[in-house]
Amino acid sequence: MLAALAPAKADRYELAVGPRRTRTVTYLDTVDWRLHAKGIVLSHERASGPGTLTVDGRGEENSTRLTESPQWPARVEQLPEGEVRDGVAAAMWVRAVAPVVRARVVSREVAVLDDERKTVVRLDWVELTGTEPSATRPLVRVTLRPVLGYGGAAKRVRKALEACGDFAEIEDGGAYATLLEAEGIAPEESAPPAISADMPADVAVATALHGFAGVIAVNVDGVLDDIDTEFLHDLRVAVRRTRSLLKLAGDVLPPELVRRYGSGFKWLGDATTPTRDLDVYLLEFDTLAAGLVAGEPGDLAPFGELLASEREKARRALARTLRSQRFTRLIEGWQAGLADVLERDWSEQDGRLTAEALAAERVRGMVAKVIKRAKAITPDSPAEDVHRLRKRCKELRYLLEVVKPVCDATAHRAVIKDLKKVQDVLGAFQDGEVQSHSLRDYAERLQSSGRPPAATLLAMGELSASFVTMQRQARHDLTGALRKFLGPATHERIEDLLP
Amino acid sequence: MKVVASYNVKGGVGKTTAAVNLAYLAAARGHRTVLWDLDPQGAATFLFRVKPRVKGGSTKLVGGARPVEAALKGTDFEGLDLLPADFTYRNMDLDLARSHSSGKRAGRALSGLLDELAGDYDLAFLDTPPSLSLVSENVLHAADLVLVPIIPTVLAARTFDQLADFVGTFEGDRPDVHGFFSMTDRRKALHRELIATLPGEREGVSSTSIPALAVIEQMAVRRAPLPAYAPSGPATRAYEQLWTDVEQILDL
Ligand SMILES: Nc1ncnc2c1ncn2[C@@H]1O[C@H](COP(=O)(O)OP(=O)(O)OP(=O)(O)O)[C@@H](O)[C@H]1O
Ligand SMILES: [Mg+2]
Repeated sequence: MLAALAPAKADRYELAVGPRRTRTVTYLDTVDWRLHAKGIVLSHERASGPGTLTVDGRGEENSTRLTESPQWPARVEQLPEGEVRDGVAAAMWVRAVAPVVRARVVSREVAVLDDERKTVVRLDWVELTGTEPSATRPLVRVTLRPVLGYGGAAKRVRKALEACGDFAEIEDGGAYATLLEAEGIAPEESAPPAISADMPADVAVATALHGFAGVIAVNVDGVLDDIDTEFLHDLRVAVRRTRSLLKLAGDVLPPELVRRYGSGFKWLGDATTPTRDLDVYLLEFDTLAAGLVAGEPGDLAPFGELLASEREKARRALARTLRSQRFTRLIEGWQAGLADVLERDWSEQDGRLTAEALAAERVRGMVAKVIKRAKAITPDSPAEDVHRLRKRCKELRYLLEVVKPVCDATAHRAVIKDLKKVQDVLGAFQDGEVQSHSLRDYAERLQSSGRPPAATLLAMGELSASFVTMQRQARHDLTGALRKFLGPATHERIEDLLP
Repeated sequence: MKVVASYNVKGGVGKTTAAVNLAYLAAARGHRTVLWDLDPQGAATFLFRVKPRVKGGSTKLVGGARPVEAALKGTDFEGLDLLPADFTYRNMDLDLARSHSSGKRAGRALSGLLDELAGDYDLAFLDTPPSLSLVSENVLHAADLVLVPIIPTVLAARTFDQLADFVGTFEGDRPDVHGFFSMTDRRKALHRELIATLPGEREGVSSTSIPALAVIEQMAVRRAPLPAYAPSGPATRAYEQLWTDVEQILDL
């Protein structure tokens, strides 16, 4: 290092090199780069001891000295309370942060001395070496700090240094950005493979399904390690999208492939349901408890414990499923089968149905179905009919998401917006019903597992009543929402969006 | 910005040593601090390893031809800057008198120059030459607090009284005058006696005492403030006590 800085002597100065200080720094983010998206940098630095956690949110910095070594990944409730946690909580949401890159930082302060041995310029030498995920070469930055009244010396030293090397390998954007680049990491979610209008229909469908399969595969470890609840959620959504697309357009794929693997996704989807339902319950638990009018939030504690232990059981069962041969064969075989379709030579398929044509045909079919069902809903329709409509709407939504690249963007956005509003009302109806039923079930289980406090059962009763109210409200809103968002205007807009 | 002068009409009593060490301690405690070496001998300038050279000299500085900021030098210590002295400062009396003819009051010219620094610093220490001159009169007018090192001798009390009387004649703002014992030797009966009695007899004389110690004398060899090379020990503790006095008087 000294040799590299020797030119700073500019033929008249001496260098006094301060002690070498070494520390490791770990930069953290969620798998889906939530902190990065919000311009927040979370890092953990340690020289000795548990180190400090620092959040830098667009220039505003806060640090917490840790009292014990942190464990990664960590969800927000696992971070130490305080300003750092407050600074990342909203951005992290329910997701866990884990190390993105790790580096060793060697720093030294070098004083440039004149003939009185007075410091006339200070140099901060920082050497950053990425250690994880892979080792990088050392990246150096020398920052020159002028001393008041010694501008001439600063100019002289800067000139001498600039003449003989690159002392700004670490960008202004900071060590993190430099490290990401050196490690070859792009801080963004990998985009799903998009279909294009002129793709053969089977290739387009296989492309979308292959993307979903990738999402399933990539989230398995996060579910197994129980890092946060979103891994399961993302996996589950990918399963549902797979099932919907198979149902609506699976016929363009080789029948053998669909026959072999299609039913596996129902099995997989069902296996994820209990854990996800309990996750949702637990995520909303504090809000539900806080919303009690007659009861105290604490009244629900025994119920919360029951949910947590049920969730643990469900998660273990799910883990067994995800570790099973059946699961591995399903995903691997499915991905291989889809890859075969994708690798087929397009040119041989001249004259066959294009993605664009398929999209138009299937969306029209689906829309007709949804609108027919929506029209049939009256204030007296049985709940069954409402649930069926909800499922069809969901399928339409997934289909629209797949065909988005071949649609008119503005029209697509408008249609999705309408559909979302309908789905919200339908969702509230469904949730209200399911929740009030399951509360009954849980109350019985609590009862048989011991002697729950009366206050707990009363509070659960209050919750149940509020779910029923929610369902009624949704039922009331529904007819209006259907007329408004699934009426003739929507039909027209859907025609606009199709090629 | 509060202004603290280290002053005694007598030479070699520990003015510079006190100014340098207190400025260092103030900066170390987070106060943005400047030390102005007003002595053409440049002892404080030397202790901070700064070359005794002021562009344009006393004339340009006092006359206002060059801004005070342009003469500032960063010391080797965070938060502590120095206005160095050079040999032209021996003519500062003349320069101050001349600034009088240009309309300002000769006894207050230094205050005007210090005002230029008021935005950048919390504390200014003035190290003064041993004399009764226009420079010292300026210093006494500019200061919120005058620290007076007293070597315990029979005549010391008289010298202190003379200074207190002189300051008492000021119209308007008068600085606090605070005497402390310097270069004391507990083995000397007279030292012990004066330290025991004088603070009781004289308002403004504290019992804070800086002992005569070789480690303090070493500052000239080390060319650094005492606490920088001897952060613990009785010598630094004595200056820390003196700093506590300053904090109390100035309500810092
Ligand atoms: N407490 C002390 N113990 C030992 N030596 C001291 C002590 N205080 C000051 N000295 C030394 O005494 C000498 C005079 O001190 P200093 O320069 O601080 O006095 P001064 O009042 O500023 O002098 P001058 O009037 O010449 O400016 C210096 O060599 C200094 O190192
Ligand atoms: Mg002196």
